[in-house]
Amino acid sequence: MLEISIFSILALFMIGGALAMILNKQTLFSAFGFLLAMIALGGLFALLDSRFLAISQIMVAVGGVVVLSMLTILTVNAKEEALPDEPNKFKWVFFTSLLVLPFTLLLYKVLSTLPDYFTKGDSIDSKLIGKLLFSEWVLPFEIVSILLLAAMLGAIIIARDKVVYKGDKS
Amino acid sequence: MSTASIIVAISSFALGTLLALMTIPVLVWLERRTAGLVQDRLGPNRTNIFGFRLGGVVQSFADVVKLVLKEEYYPSHIKSGKWLFMLAPIITFVAALLAFMVIPFADTLIIGDEHLRVQPLPIDFGVFWYLAVSSIGVIGVIFGGWLSHNKYSLLGAARAASMVVSYELPLGLSILAFIITYDTVDFNAMVTSQSELLFGFLPAWGIFMQPIASIILIITLFAETNRNPFTVAEGESEIVAGFMTEYSAMKFAMYFMAEYIAMNTASAVIITMIFGGYQLPYISTQMMLDNFTTLAICVMIAAPIVVTLFIKWMQKNNRVRPGMAQDKGREFETKFFTIAFIVMTIAIEFILLYLAFFSENLLAQSIYVTVIQIATFVVKLMIFNMFFILIRWTLPRFRYDQVQKLGWYYLLPLALLNIFVTALVVVGVSL
Repeated sequence: MLEISIFSILALFMIGGALAMILNKQTLFSAFGFLLAMIALGGLFALLDSRFLAISQIMVAVGGVVVLSMLTILTVNAKEEALPDEPNKFKWVFFTSLLVLPFTLLLYKVLSTLPDYFTKGDSIDSKLIGKLLFSEWVLPFEIVSILLLAAMLGAIIIARDKVVYKGDKS
Repeated sequence: MSTASIIVAISSFALGTLLALMTIPVLVWLERRTAGLVQDRLGPNRTNIFGFRLGGVVQSFADVVKLVLKEEYYPSHIKSGKWLFMLAPIITFVAALLAFMVIPFADTLIIGDEHLRVQPLPIDFGVFWYLAVSSIGVIGVIFGGWLSHNKYSLLGAARAASMVVSYELPLGLSILAFIITYDTVDFNAMVTSQSELLFGFLPAWGIFMQPIASIILIITLFAETNRNPFTVAEGESEIVAGFMTEYSAMKFAMYFMAEYIAMNTASAVIITMIFGGYQLPYISTQMMLDNFTTLAICVMIAAPIVVTLFIKWMQKNNRVRPGMAQDKGREFETKFFTIAFIVMTIAIEFILLYLAFFSENLLAQSIYVTVIQIATFVVKLMIFNMFFILIRWTLPRFRYDQVQKLGWYYLLPLALLNIFVTALVVVGVSL
């Protein structure tokens, strides 16, 4: 009973945070919604007794992603009147979520057939995760790092675009 | 869960909360008195309750009363997000408080066949917890600065955020060097492995094992706690008070207290990782337990000497200047504390006498060793807090570009190089 109530509170925070992130006009409130959703996700991992994953979740998503995105928001410092006007935002969100619904159901079916690793009750050792990550899962790990590298290069090229263009002109 | 484990868990949690919260007034007082010492004046020492001044600590409580009773002022130009404006200091405060909760105050207490951690949050990856939770603190600063809707606050918040981002990297890398050296992410195991000897005569503290990583750790933790010389986020000569400009009364006090808790946490992490934590140099926990009688006799001899010196110092210093007629209770305070200290010393002597010679109670002995370790921890913590404070009143503030240059050009490559060398040495030793 306690578990279910904690789960529902965390799930409420997650859904509320995600909705706040999409629906808010001001970028910093969106960032706050994202922060809430990420902390609640960490809480869900903690509820499954995998404390290491919970802490990694908070460290990466909150300490890295949220802080960096907030730094970007501060640097851009968009004024209220400079934000784009979105009159039919709620309609868009509603119809897009309807469109995504079948895929969500598919995902739910796939996930519910998976063997439940988490519910066994023994907490996951951090050393075990490290060993698995560098032996069995080393290929996905490296692929993810290449993906990150590609994203970083893309960001640099997008940001550099104007500077390079100016240099060519002069 | 046995009774002993519940008692240990509750008391270590209470101890952690006390150490985090009750050191704030002491640290504020220490800061102001040290500033006075550095600037050749006295600092606060007049406030008293029934004649008790405790050297001026009471001033901090007066400050708290003032801050609580002050008018809560909300800037009228803040239209949306007032709740977040109020929540922002609380985020910083709670993050600083939670980050302190993984520091071990003493070695694992063994009662029967149970191993009980004297750690408010008994987890075995405290380093990760510290890194994860302490990085949340800057989010409160960002919210506060951005929602204040003025240029100074925005600049302060942007500076704080970019400084944290650029110093998080060398901090993480230097901690990684310690993780490689000690082969653990557990604070308690780190302290235990520091109780060994290096080259046969040096205690294997992090500062001797990893000198470069230690220096990087200290510098980056100074930056993470927003202490001088890294106070660019609130540089009052350029941007008024930075992110705190619009904050008043208790909302300001939250940021203020969070800074002191963060400083306390930073010194706790520093002593745990590089100065042997709760261990006395050359003496491991097992050694203390094995030679309990010797330890008890040493403490029995040392305690009266220390207390006598302290009482002499107090009687010499806690009095009114010559020429001032009024005493206002200082003599009474000195008398009261003299008697209290003497009674306490006698009680300690009797307890030790009983434990050392007339009792074979192993539980009481191990509890006593735990108490000694906690005392060692607190003394080391206070020494390092003094170091933080002295640095603040000695060095001028860095310029913002200097801070960034130090972080990216010097600390980051140095930390990377250090990890490379450490990994080579560790692999070489294990071959």
